[in-house]
Amino acid sequence: MAEAEAIVRVNGVHKYFTRGSERVDVLQGLSLSVPNGEFLALMGPSGSGKTTLLNLIAGLDTPSSGEVWIGSDLISKMSESQLATWRTRNVGFIFQFYHLLAVLTAYENVELPLLLLSMSAAERKQRVLTALDLVGLSDRLHHRPGQLSGGQQQRVGIARAIVTDPTLIVADEPTGDLDAKSADDILHLMGELQRELQKTIIMVTHDPKAAERAGRTLHLEKGKLVHEERRSKATAS
Amino acid sequence: MFQLTRLIIKNLRRNVLRTVLTALGTMVLVLAVTSVWSVLDFIDNQTADKANDFKILISDKNNAQGRLPRSYMESMRRGAARGSDDVVPDDYMTWAFYGGTLDPTKSSRENFLFLIACEPEKAPTMLDDLDQLGTADTARLNAAIEKMRKQPNGIIMGHEQLKLMNKEVGGRITVNGLTFKGLNLEFEIVDTFPKSAQRYGQTSIMNIEYLFQGIDEYDAKNKTKLASGVAPIAFEMLKVKNRQDYERLAAQIVNSPLYTSPAVRCESGGSAVSTFLASWKDIFWGMRWLLSPAILVTLSLVIANAISISVRERHQEIAVLKVLGFRPGQVMFLILGEAMLIGMVSGLISAGFTILFVNKFVGGIPIPIAWFDRFFIPQVALLWGLGIGGVTAFLGSILPAWSARGVRVADVFAKVT
Repeated sequence: MAEAEAIVRVNGVHKYFTRGSERVDVLQGLSLSVPNGEFLALMGPSGSGKTTLLNLIAGLDTPSSGEVWIGSDLISKMSESQLATWRTRNVGFIFQFYHLLAVLTAYENVELPLLLLSMSAAERKQRVLTALDLVGLSDRLHHRPGQLSGGQQQRVGIARAIVTDPTLIVADEPTGDLDAKSADDILHLMGELQRELQKTIIMVTHDPKAAERAGRTLHLEKGKLVHEERRSKATAS
Repeated sequence: MFQLTRLIIKNLRRNVLRTVLTALGTMVLVLAVTSVWSVLDFIDNQTADKANDFKILISDKNNAQGRLPRSYMESMRRGAARGSDDVVPDDYMTWAFYGGTLDPTKSSRENFLFLIACEPEKAPTMLDDLDQLGTADTARLNAAIEKMRKQPNGIIMGHEQLKLMNKEVGGRITVNGLTFKGLNLEFEIVDTFPKSAQRYGQTSIMNIEYLFQGIDEYDAKNKTKLASGVAPIAFEMLKVKNRQDYERLAAQIVNSPLYTSPAVRCESGGSAVSTFLASWKDIFWGMRWLLSPAILVTLSLVIANAISISVRERHQEIAVLKVLGFRPGQVMFLILGEAMLIGMVSGLISAGFTILFVNKFVGGIPIPIAWFDRFFIPQVALLWGLGIGGVTAFLGSILPAWSARGVRVADVFAKVT
């Protein structure tokens, strides 16, 4: 099978912060390419720059220099407002601590990103129900986060990430706050999303077992890619 | 917009106790400022002249407490007009004030009666607001005036005054004069002012001719003139169509050779009230420029405090909203919306409650300034409550909302400790 077209292209990206008079280089001329439909894991020690890289790819931050392309969009040149609109349509986020709004039900949390898109109430409802059905929470529509287990809350988070049918899903330590069984369920679900919906997933993790679910793992150190592991489809997921 | 508003309402449920306390704080302060503004609004209305039906008050020029002799009365009622070119007033009313006590040994409030001595038939047209009564109340007032005309010692008493004195319509009372010391008069209460004329709840009127008759009888009986009876008239009130007529009439009277001892001055109704209220000027100034702003600033700070805490607690949640695509302006809208919703709803409820409580339950704010005695909350206070709540909430929450707007999206990955 021919290799899929790259959906994410990071070209010579530098990112530095200043701490007082000191300059801290977090990413140093990093380049990478992620094909459409790949499940990619980013690993590395604390301070290696993996979350910064995730922020740049997800349009949460802009590089000091270099380019970030997602599909045909050069997001590294977009303004904050343009990025906000772009994120709504193109990126789904899965967080370690779920970050659901406590006052909203599962249904309303999933509906949240759709409020920013122009669509009818009927279409919005259909999408929310489909997303919650995909993560197996059709029977928990009207539960608030406080009434759900950690694994169920993360499922709601995943439903919120996919409800806009984004090009890209980014996950920051999605199993970091879960027990082993729930973590395994979540990784399995993410694998299914990648395979069946052909979603491109980029996941930051410290957990080697979680990284084993990805088709490829990139190791970062001091802002540079230092190692790459590829797995066969049989071992991944 | 509807969905965002729904989100705002749901956010207010996040910390119900804080929302309720903020709302209660807002309500109390709106109640305070609404009450203060009601008094000021009433005073403003009293001191503002109407564009039409100008009222002129003619009183002693050199002595605010001075009174005018009876000899001035007839010519003044005609505006001192002598030629056919002179302005003649459309209406008139002569005012004297007779106050006294029912029991000279016990000077308590329920024993004290203050009467406006006037021509009773002039009350419906010359006393403010009595021309605004409904048909039934107007008929009742006219019937009471007719009784006074037939029965010179008849008085119409405010219903609150009647209740305070524990008297009934038809009852007879003897008043021991204080404003006309030594002149004791007997009255019969022929009726009360209609309750719809709220401002006359504590006002009573008597026939001025009965006062003059009493003075004459005193003089005849005692073979000496009652000192306060020599000049018993407080002021003459005339009504003209407009300001132009007012100015001409004022010139006519002031320049008339009929009024030299004492000389007289003319003031518009509003100006006369302002003069009368001069001794309360500092209090009104303080209420308007110190008390009201202080309450409004306090209200803004209460809301600012609550919203600041809320924004600080939800820092990461706001970052999540921005990650999901909410733009800075939408985040600001959410925060401002929460504050303004609390402020406006609380303000409206508070104003509504204040109107009901003060006007219906308490029967007015009892601040005895001049002859006003108590103040009522106008219906427009509903708009004040809405506006005060909304504006102070907006001002109080603008800085917290601005800081929420500036939350960095990358903060969403800040680790929870």
